[in-house]
Parts: sequence; C-alpha cells; structure tokens
Amino acid sequence: MNADLVHRTVSLCRELRARGMTVTTSHAMDAVRALRAIGIESRERVYLALRCVLVARPEDLELFDEVFAAVFSPPPEDAIEGAVRVVRRSPPRDPAAAVSLSSWGKEGEEGEDGEDPEEVPAASDAPGIAEKDFSAFGAAELAEIQRIAARIARRLAARPSRRWKASGRGTRIDLRRTMRRSLSNSAEPLELRFRRRKPRKTRIVALCDVSGSMDLYSRFLLQFLFALQGTVARVESFVFSTSLRHVTALLREPEYGEALRSLASGVHDWSGGTRIGESLAAFNSGWGQLVDKRTVVVILSDGWDTGEPALLGEAMETLRRRSRRLIWLNPLLGSPDYQPLTQGMQAALPHVSVFAPAHNLVSLRALERHLLA
Amino acid sequence: MTSREEATLDRIAQLLEQLDREAYVADPAIATSLHLALELHKPLLIEGHAGVGKTEIAKVLARVLGADLIRLQCYEGLDASTALYEWNYARQLLHIRLQESGGPGAVDAEAKIFSEPFLLKRPLLQAIAHEGRPPVLLVDEIDRSDEEFEAFLLEVLSDFQVTVPELGTIRARERPHVILTSNRSRELSDALRRRCLYLWIDHPPFAKELSIVRRKVPGASDALAAQIVGLVQRLRAAKLAKVPGVSETLDWAAALVVLHADHLTPEIVGETLGCALKDEGDLRKVRSEIESGRLPVGAV
Repeated sequence: MNADLVHRTVSLCRELRARGMTVTTSHAMDAVRALRAIGIESRERVYLALRCVLVARPEDLELFDEVFAAVFSPPPEDAIEGAVRVVRRSPPRDPAAAVSLSSWGKEGEEGEDGEDPEEVPAASDAPGIAEKDFSAFGAAELAEIQRIAARIARRLAARPSRRWKASGRGTRIDLRRTMRRSLSNSAEPLELRFRRRKPRKTRIVALCDVSGSMDLYSRFLLQFLFALQGTVARVESFVFSTSLRHVTALLREPEYGEALRSLASGVHDWSGGTRIGESLAAFNSGWGQLVDKRTVVVILSDGWDTGEPALLGEAMETLRRRSRRLIWLNPLLGSPDYQPLTQGMQAALPHVSVFAPAHNLVSLRALERHLLA
Repeated sequence: MTSREEATLDRIAQLLEQLDREAYVADPAIATSLHLALELHKPLLIEGHAGVGKTEIAKVLARVLGADLIRLQCYEGLDASTALYEWNYARQLLHIRLQESGGPGAVDAEAKIFSEPFLLKRPLLQAIAHEGRPPVLLVDEIDRSDEEFEAFLLEVLSDFQVTVPELGTIRARERPHVILTSNRSRELSDALRRRCLYLWIDHPPFAKELSIVRRKVPGASDALAAQIVGLVQRLRAAKLAKVPGVSETLDWAAALVVLHADHLTPEIVGETLGCALKDEGDLRKVRSEIESGRLPVGAV
C-alpha cells in the first residue's frame, strides 16, 4: 500500500482525536487494514472506508468530512506535512472549575447513617439552606450546595421504591432453579423457586435553558438528573438557548462543568435571545424518537421566548401528545409574586402537566414525585 | 495494483451488483461498509431514521452470501436466557417422568437432562453453534435493550464463545457476520461503538429513492413514482414530528397503485396521506398546506 496513504491516515486519526473524537490505536490499525481491504485507492473508496471505521455516530460525520478534506487534500508536490493544517480548538482549562460528576453516584456509602431518606435534608445537612434560592448563594457556597443536591439524588436512587418492592414471593416461577431443586426430591418439583420481574426504568428527557440566569438552575437540574441516571432512570439531556445541543455524553466527562459552561457561552447570542419554540421543534424533528409514552419530558426555562409563540405552542403540543408527562420547571415560580405572563409561558402552559419551580433544594427534592411516579 | 487488490476491487463492485440483483438499491457507502465488515470480521452497526432499510440490509446480505439469517429482536427487558439459551424444562420434566419407573440414580438423570437435546438455543447461541457457512446474525434495534444487555452482548461479540455450566464451552468455528441496527431511541455505549464498524444511513436523495420505488412498486407509473418521491422529499424538509421513511414512501406508492392512480391530485393525496404521515399533528399541518395550495402535489 502507498506509504503516503498510511501517513495521511495516521495524521487523520491524530487530528480527529485532537478534535475530540474517540479514535484509539486499534481504530488506526483497523483503518489501515480497511485500506488494504478496499483494493483500489480511489479518493471515494478511501473516504468511505475510513469513515466506516473511524466515525461512530452521526454527529461526528461533519467533523470527519472537514478533517478528511484537510488531510487528504491534493498534496503540494513537496510537503505532505503542509496538508495537515487544521485549526485546533483546545479551550483553556480551569481545573478548579471542573467538578467530577462521576463521583455523584459512587461516594456517600460511608456517610449514610440510616436516617430517613424521605426527609428533606434541611435539618441534618445544613439548616436554613434548603429553601434558599440557588442564585442567592455565593460562588463559594455553591459547591457545598451541589454536594447536598447530589446526596439527595443518591438517596432517591438508592431507596427501594414502593412500586418495585418484592411482591410476596415473586411473580414468575424460576424454572431453572425449580428443576435443580427437584432433582434432589426424586424429580418432584415440590418447591417452587421464583424470580422477580426487573423494574422498568423511567425514561427522562431533560431540555434545559442555559441562557442568562437560567444557566445556574439548569446546571443544578442536570446534575440532579444525572445522579438518577442508570439506577432508577434513563436520562437524556439537552441544553438550548438559540439552538439545541445533546449533552448526555458530555455529562459523563470528568470536566463536564467546564464543558457545560463553555457550551453556554458558545451558544449565547444575546441579540438573538432565547429561541425556545425553535429549540423544542428541533428536538421534535431531530430527537423525537427518544420520547415515547413512558417518557417524562422535563423543560427548564423562564419562558422568555423571542421566537414565535405559535411555534412554541405547536412544539409543546407534539411533546405532550407523545410523552407520558410534560413537566415545565420555571425557577421564577419560586418568588411569590411571579406571574407566568410572558407570551412564551402563555403558549406553553396549556400543554404542561406539571408546572413547578426547581429553584432550591426543596423543590428539586419534590421533583422526584413527578419524575418517577 | 496487485492481483489481490484487483480481486478485492471486484468484490465491492460485485457486492453492489449482487445487492442490486436482490432488489436492494445500495450505494457505494453501503457496499464498502459491508465489504469491510466481511473482510475485517467486525460487527457493523447501522444507524439511521426509521424506515431507511437498515434491517433489510442484513436480510439481503444473507441472501447474497447464501448464508442463514439469525435474527435477535431486542426489546426492553431482554435478558441473557431469552437471547442465549434456556433449558427445555417441559421436556426435562417429561423425561424424568418417563424414567421414573426404571428408577436410575439422580446423578444419571441430571447428566441426561442437562445435555444438548434438552438445550433450547436462542439466537445468540444459534449463531455461535451454527454448522457450515457462517450465518448472518442480525441484532435488531439494539437501542431498545437495556444497558446491561448491551454489556452482555459486547462480551459475546468479542469472543464468540459461550459457557453453559452444565455442558461446557461452546465456541464458534467461524465468526458469524454480525449486523446491529439502532434507531437511536437511546445512546449506545462508547464501548459498543468502538467495537463496531459504523454506517449511518440517511434518507435517500431523490434519484435513489425514485429507483427504490421503481424497483419495489413496479406497478407505479413513471409520473406517479416521481410525484410521490418528490412530495415525500418535500415533506422531509418540512418540520414534522415523524418524518416519513422510505418504507412509508413504498407503502404510499403501493396504496396509490391499488387505487389506480396514475398521478397525484390534492384529493387523492388528502385521502391517502395517512400512508406517509403517522402523526396526527403532522397530518393536520400538511393537509392545510395542501388545501391552501402552499404545497403543490402534482409537480415533480
């Protein structure tokens, strides 16, 4: 095989990795094997083969095309190196800002002291903070509040739900165990063994407004839901302001906090304002398959929509029709004199099954009832 | 170019031709992916919108290879015993009953009823224990299964061997060709994605979809086929809750042929639109677009 081709393939892999795609050494080896397998080294064949090996999700297609075009551009006669000039975007990292979400699900076993998990942690955790609005905390306190929110979520996840409790001795006979048992009883299945049906996980889709003041509340909600991920629920997370982004995978990253922040600053478009209706419509057409009759859809936003209210209403109607429950969280609802009078809120409210605040620990805790019921 | 390379060159072109002969309108991307899956012995993960023909690829591949197709349909709650193997309890019980009069020892009975004739092979084990030409294993809609099952599947796919405690280890003599499909109703794990080759199938462009309709619904007139495809393509560009796939186009074309339509009129579209659009809101929206004339139906 052409040495230049191998060289470029390696450059391609390196560049894709630098741009955030998961490209391992075994991918690179597969890429070279694939090139050998396609025979003719036409540009189209090479492109299709490398794409098949290196791309693993549709979101990466665009990036792949871009980098492929740069790396496999017709070479200037002398230097191949010159072909690999793709701007690298590596955002500055602030280690202090990086809070690891992966620890949310794990830590805490040692600290659990058997207190009633039903209780809002007001008394035990820190008096007086449970009802304080998230935005009223200073930056230094926020980390502590996050820790507490995480603990609440963990308790929710760990608590055996009433609905899923073992019902007597199980609902299905475990034939395998019964048969084994019966062998020692001269093959008489005297003693029945049971097994329990695995509980179905709730499916949650979260759509969080990250424009302006909503950013802080959204981050709390996403973290809270993330702690439920995998144990009692299957959560898919999105953020939006002027456009929509799928962030489920991002939340698994150790530096998710920073990632979310840079995302928020990236999608902010102050002159454009928040486009709730458009973002929800984009969700419906691009990700609608995530929602079915067992899915709870949670939207967090203050309802300041700069787009067409009709579009928002339509998108909400679609969501309501396809989901099991449509929850709208508006942190402003936490202040007693708030009235949902914005056009966006007016368009959305008729389709909402639960309208709640989510502005402090108590309201976050109360969410569970709506999410898992 | 070496002769080996020429042979493989033929292979992709040949594959395209074979797919075409099986009435599957493929493109180079599909043929290249299938060829690589066969050559590199890796599973191929196919994703795309509903109704773009993901499952069909596995079926057609099996026909092209002259291999058996073994299908594992995934759903939430699918577990190892449904996917891999289970003991045939009814038969075990019957056997024990029949043996009772003879009265052999429990140990004998145990060895007997936990032997291969009492084993019910489910799709994964069928694929592993398959004799002869390696089969095509279709793991359909993997996104519907649970994360736990996905992890289990990964294990099976990595070494193609299964240990049944009572029987020992069963190993595949030749690796089956594995095709996984997903509708993206949830995100699959990175580990699974890493293990697979990947093919994303988008909605086909006009020309490709037209040739699919011509192949699959031969009764449709030229004008009708072109009009239907043109309209479906425009519908896809509109913001709909449930975008129609190729299978909807085909259903629609077939319905119109049954109704002896040879071209589209607003009336006939209004009556049959339900073949293409499955969402009440979408139907209402598109009907009003057609009635107001904003969406012309007869044009190509």
